[in-house]
Amino acid sequence: MTSSDRVFQNNHLRHREGLTTVSHDWTMVKAGSLVEKQTLVTIDADATVEDACEVLLKNGITSAPVYDSVKKMYVGMFDYGDLMTYLLLLLKKMDVPLEDQTMEMRDLIQRTSRSQNVPVKLASDLSGKDPFCTVLEETRLGAVVHDFGTGIHRVAVMDSEGNMKGILSQSSTLDYLMRHLSEYPQLQPVMQKSLQQCGLSNGRVLSVNGDEKVLDALISMSTNSVSSLAVLDDQGVLLGNISMTDIKHIMKNLRTSWLWITCFQLVCKIRLSQGVESGEDQYPVLDVNAKSTFGYTLSKLQATKAHRMWVVNDSGCAVGVVSLTDVFRVLSRLIDIDD
Amino acid sequence: MVLDLDACIESLFQRQLLAESVIKEICEKTKELLMSESNVVHIKAPVTVVGDIHGQFYDLLEIFKIGGYCPDTNYLFLGDYVDRGLYSVETISILTCLKLRYPDRVQLVRGNHESRAVTSTYGFYTECMKKYGTSDVWHYFTDLFDYLTLSVVIDNMIFCVHGGLSPSIHTIDQIKVIDRFKEIPHEGPMADLVWSDPDPGREEFAVSPRGAGYTFGSMVVEKFLHENRMDHILRAHQLCMEGFQVLFDDQLSTVWSAPNYCYRCGNLASILEIGVEGERHFNVFEAAPENERPTPAEAQRTLFSNGVPQSLFSNGGGGSNGAGVGGGPNGAMTFAGASGSNGGIDPAQDTIHYFL
Repeated sequence: MTSSDRVFQNNHLRHREGLTTVSHDWTMVKAGSLVEKQTLVTIDADATVEDACEVLLKNGITSAPVYDSVKKMYVGMFDYGDLMTYLLLLLKKMDVPLEDQTMEMRDLIQRTSRSQNVPVKLASDLSGKDPFCTVLEETRLGAVVHDFGTGIHRVAVMDSEGNMKGILSQSSTLDYLMRHLSEYPQLQPVMQKSLQQCGLSNGRVLSVNGDEKVLDALISMSTNSVSSLAVLDDQGVLLGNISMTDIKHIMKNLRTSWLWITCFQLVCKIRLSQGVESGEDQYPVLDVNAKSTFGYTLSKLQATKAHRMWVVNDSGCAVGVVSLTDVFRVLSRLIDIDD
Repeated sequence: MVLDLDACIESLFQRQLLAESVIKEICEKTKELLMSESNVVHIKAPVTVVGDIHGQFYDLLEIFKIGGYCPDTNYLFLGDYVDRGLYSVETISILTCLKLRYPDRVQLVRGNHESRAVTSTYGFYTECMKKYGTSDVWHYFTDLFDYLTLSVVIDNMIFCVHGGLSPSIHTIDQIKVIDRFKEIPHEGPMADLVWSDPDPGREEFAVSPRGAGYTFGSMVVEKFLHENRMDHILRAHQLCMEGFQVLFDDQLSTVWSAPNYCYRCGNLASILEIGVEGERHFNVFEAAPENERPTPAEAQRTLFSNGVPQSLFSNGGGGSNGAGVGGGPNGAMTFAGASGSNGGIDPAQDTIHYFL
């Protein structure tokens, strides 16, 4: 057993005295119980996109539901993907064919080209990815995990009266499962498997060269419908990561000049400011290798709060990626096997 | 070239950069010296222990004022000499010279920033390029970093390391067999020693939020000290607003020596003075007084050893060198080309880079 396996074992699998040894089925946990203590942050549908971004920044979240107080209902979710699409539209770098434009998107484009203040109700769900998905409080985790495995990043949990109780994200679900792993022995076997055994050790790595401009990387993310790109040097060695949530650094104090620096420069600037804020510098790249266990990878995702781990080979070149979506796809496959 | 270390040290105290060829030679000679050091160096008190400095050269000068100059005071530096501050080059240059000049009075432990991957991201590489025009000096120093020891034991009682403990390491002997002469790996015992952090809220190891190393708790500390018959762990690596922090019932301390970190955190710093009987005293200090520190604009200018100021952003870079002021104490000196080749980086943005 390697030492990372031992650490994993000590933290997640050892039964401490006093805990009940009744094993629960993790797939039967109710979605509502995971959002019980959540304070819901919402955005007003008529707020400007800049104000909506401020809400995300201030609360340290990556998305929030948009509430229309006239229609008295939730009309969508606003996240950094939408913000990126809005930015690209503003900069006229995206040509959306007329027939693909929904009524609202067309309105949005018209407004941006006349530089009017755009209300966020027009910008929510703009990216077309990650639409507003809801589940009920009683919905079982097994079903939610299935949705997460198809690429949905978060779901809104509603009660029977149509009130929103909270947002359940891939990250918070992972965090819950890791904290309670000792209660779910069914999950233990998959945790010991290597990434190679899980089929996660290699795959398509979408990347950008460190010298390319940030704006071009954002366009590439948008075109390829991904939320991050590996930043590589000329030899293919992983230097860092650029993701949609990095847009928050551009929107902070409206540092739009950062759109025209190189991707590597952006990686450096973000690392520098994060390290000062927390008093602890992070490792430049968040990665694992083919022999790392699934459990170790999940621990690292949980500890670093990252949304993906790049898989690197012995030379440090990125050969694959394990995203939260990949994690939940593996977990939902377990359910299919058990049924 | 005969290397006059005392002259080099004096130039550096005046914040004059050494010529590239001099740096190359100093690094070569120091590597030879370090090669014979074990991964665990044993020393005796009295000794003054210094934590992270991060290129804050003026604060290093302050440390010498407070703690005493070499060789009158024995020093143990716990790593993180470079990155973030404005004077990483001057800082690592002077520490390397002092180690070479007084090898038994100065110990240099490797920190997580003494690495190619980290210095490419956190400022040292950029500073070398700006001050010397090429990456050669960065290569000389990062090659030197591969030779720095990983830990020091004081009086067989105090275990000193940059970061912390590793789930792969239970005894000092296990550290001794590591092959340290390489870039710090992403994972494994060598990475853990320079990246790990204590967590007073835990008992065991857990994966670190930093993306390398682990966090470790009370049971891990007790077990390590008991098994190795020591009574204290001394480390750096984490910012302490009060300059130091003592944990686990005085079984572990963190010493932090970069006051007002990044010129904006407003924190205190400290050095730990260990007396002959093993008494420990944290000498706390603030950032060096403002009037002894150059303004950011002045900081952009570099003084070379012949005393000719070189503006980094002047047109036609090397012009001022041609004024022909005589060679300095080091005889033949080579100037790297002017730093006009910054790839169009805007100076204002570079200020942001440092003052972020």
